[in-house]
Amino acid sequence: MSTSSTAQNYADCALLRISLQNKKFKREPLSRELFQQYLGGRGLGVRLLSDALPARLDPFSPGNLLIFAVGPLTATAAPTAGRFVVVTKSPLTGTIFDSHSGGHFGAQLRRAGYAALIIEGASPSPVYLWVDDEKIEVRDASHVWGKDTASATDQLLRDTDEKAQVACIGPAGENRVKLAAIITDKHRAAGRGGVGAVMGAKKLKAIVAHGTGQSAVADPGQLDTVLERCRRLLKRNPITDKSLPIYGTAVLINITNESGLLPTYNFQEGRFNDAEGVSGEKLLERLYVKSYHCFGCPIGCGRITRAYGHEDGGPEYETIWALGPQCGINNLEWIAAANTRCNLLGLDTISVGSTIGCAMELAQKGKLNAPIKFSETKGLLELIDDIGHRHGLGAEMGEGSCAFAARHGGPEFAMHVKGLEIPAYDPRGVQGHALALATSNRGGCHLRAYMIGPEILGAPVLIDRDRTEGKADLVVLFQNLSAAMDSLVLCRFTSLAFVVDDYADMTAAVTGLPIDGKALLAIGERIWNAERLFNLREGFTSRDDQLPARFSTPLPEGGSRNRIVHLDTMLPEYYALRGWDSQGRPTKACLNRLKLKELSRA
Amino acid sequence: MTLSVAELACSIDHTELKPEVKRSKIQQLCEEAISYGFAAVCINPTHVQYAAELLKDSAVKVCCVIGFPLGATLSTAKAFETKEVVRLGASEADMVLNVGALRDQNYDLVRSDIEGVVAAADEALVKVILETGFLTDDEKRKACLLAKEAGADFVKTSTGFGPMGATPYDVRLMRETVGPSMGVKAAGGIRTFKDALRLIDAGANRIGTSSGVAMVEDFRWARFSDSWLQPDKPCWTCPSRAANLTKQPKEVYLWYKQRCLTCPDREYNVFND
Repeated sequence: MSTSSTAQNYADCALLRISLQNKKFKREPLSRELFQQYLGGRGLGVRLLSDALPARLDPFSPGNLLIFAVGPLTATAAPTAGRFVVVTKSPLTGTIFDSHSGGHFGAQLRRAGYAALIIEGASPSPVYLWVDDEKIEVRDASHVWGKDTASATDQLLRDTDEKAQVACIGPAGENRVKLAAIITDKHRAAGRGGVGAVMGAKKLKAIVAHGTGQSAVADPGQLDTVLERCRRLLKRNPITDKSLPIYGTAVLINITNESGLLPTYNFQEGRFNDAEGVSGEKLLERLYVKSYHCFGCPIGCGRITRAYGHEDGGPEYETIWALGPQCGINNLEWIAAANTRCNLLGLDTISVGSTIGCAMELAQKGKLNAPIKFSETKGLLELIDDIGHRHGLGAEMGEGSCAFAARHGGPEFAMHVKGLEIPAYDPRGVQGHALALATSNRGGCHLRAYMIGPEILGAPVLIDRDRTEGKADLVVLFQNLSAAMDSLVLCRFTSLAFVVDDYADMTAAVTGLPIDGKALLAIGERIWNAERLFNLREGFTSRDDQLPARFSTPLPEGGSRNRIVHLDTMLPEYYALRGWDSQGRPTKACLNRLKLKELSRA
Repeated sequence: MTLSVAELACSIDHTELKPEVKRSKIQQLCEEAISYGFAAVCINPTHVQYAAELLKDSAVKVCCVIGFPLGATLSTAKAFETKEVVRLGASEADMVLNVGALRDQNYDLVRSDIEGVVAAADEALVKVILETGFLTDDEKRKACLLAKEAGADFVKTSTGFGPMGATPYDVRLMRETVGPSMGVKAAGGIRTFKDALRLIDAGANRIGTSSGVAMVEDFRWARFSDSWLQPDKPCWTCPSRAANLTKQPKEVYLWYKQRCLTCPDREYNVFND
């Protein structure tokens, strides 16, 4: 064990249960069984939520839990180990949901000695939570209620400790906008699924965390060996050593555009003529100020940029796409400004941009009478404000593209899966990615199984993106790995350089658990099935494992022209590989194997 | 194919042939070769003595290129270069054959050129680089037979500096021509474990690559799925797809492109990836 007197094993960290109703809190031990079967982070949150929530609960009701969790590797020397995850039932999708953020908040929470904060009930008035090592306070937040995320962060740091880290919501979360994010470090977001709206429904403006402890390591020598190797792998990988550090995530713009995968005009096309103007290369030339590293990250894909005289974090690839090509917009400065507006309001840029694109197409097709048009930025910043404040048309759009498009008689124009807007890769040109999107437990998410890695980037090897054979197998592998990584909790970009065994070796060195790559994947599989059971309980079926009808018509031009998604051939194979029946339900044998029988009964 | 990570590693010539390479890179190359258990380091003559010193207590061989990368130097120069690098510690010599002479059908010159190197190499292995991108299939076959007749130990596809890299098609052709008694080394443009496995499957028993570390590290993914090796579009691994008019003689380029017109997999040749 580590010799540091303040070092604490992850397994000894507390689960802190906070009741906002009566401002009481209780420390509970992290059970050994829970730790071994779910590790932490996403897995821990999924199990806690599954056990606690009754079926069909309104996500905005006080009974919904909001769980902030870190993992066994958090605040250790493992690369990218400063992240945290928020697990809750999503008001946008109705599914179980985990939303992740980088920054430095996660490390502070872990150093304060907590594996997870389990937030119950709802406060009658605005509050924030001040976690200062063992000291916990539920404080009045009326002075920051209504403030944007940057102002609130500054104020709360003045009220507490300048060395603390803040995770807060903006006006969007306060107004229960279903696209609301939780923002930390002013520009890193647990963005997706409306987790900020759940926080707002609980009248919880922010959590401020400050910790002075250390993460204990079971075998420091072994960890040093593993980390030396992992650093070497990151250094040798051209994506993690060059592309991401130099251009940020926006390096993908030109790559996806070249492949005909850059969704344009609300996925009507896969190639944006002005992609060069919004590319990572152009961002570097015109707006770049400096790089931003999350806690413990040697990659540093984050950007600090300056647009119209204002500095902010981002915009990331997905944001550039959502507020750019998705809406036909080629003005990089404007995109950066819109990104800042979303950050200040506490909005998910992907869902906001996608919903605006959807509205533009509804207007284009005569379904919506509103002054918005593809390629035009006029009035859009005001529209984003309206989304955040639930005003006018913005109030409708804040429900997400699925509800918005249905309301205006054009549900086919909402590019979503299970209610969550699909991010910046047209699935017609990447069959494995298409399957990953359709089967994602949290809806349209590109990170449940990042098939763009092998299908486009060639990481670890390039595979035929048009082929359907073998894709189900790889999607299952990546989904299980992602669930395990999210439980450790590490950044997805590390998987461009690491192999499953590397994560297992790090976990073994830090925790002392005898774990190898296959065992780690088995934990990921358990988490994936637990999520599936939750969603089945909520009424989701195999009919929800589908993509919008648009993806059954060929792309007209670009590098993915004439392609469509062939989900019908991949989905049955996927279910079979998962050990599910033809309706996508885990079989008894599968649940027994994964020790999930009791969740099935619930 | 069942191949362990160690088996893949010991078939790799860990290669660094760029002109700007400094000693520190050669040191790194040798350390990695020892660490990963590669067959050899493949380097330019100027680094042989240094590498031999670094590798003297290991099983990793020093492989040196000869007449590289053009193969158009004098036979006497190739023989002298070989003798010198063997004296300095090289155990393997990868010589470039006289490509122009082969295309001129001056087979005596090609053969004697190789024989001179084989003689100078003494007990060191000699691999003959065909530079397949300059050749038609008949010329590749002829080159293989000449190398075999001249007593070389291996035939090798490419330098990595020519118009094409190694393809399973060429390796298969070379293996069929030389038979099982001679080695076939695939080199040029081999960057992933999938590339390597396909070439080994086609008959290669040595892989020359500067991506050896990444290849072996990434090969660990194969333990978790067989799907990495699903067939790709046939054009991806076909030499005709790599044909390039700016780098090849016109008649060779057209010979490759003519194959596309009669290819049974022609229907796949529509995408731009």
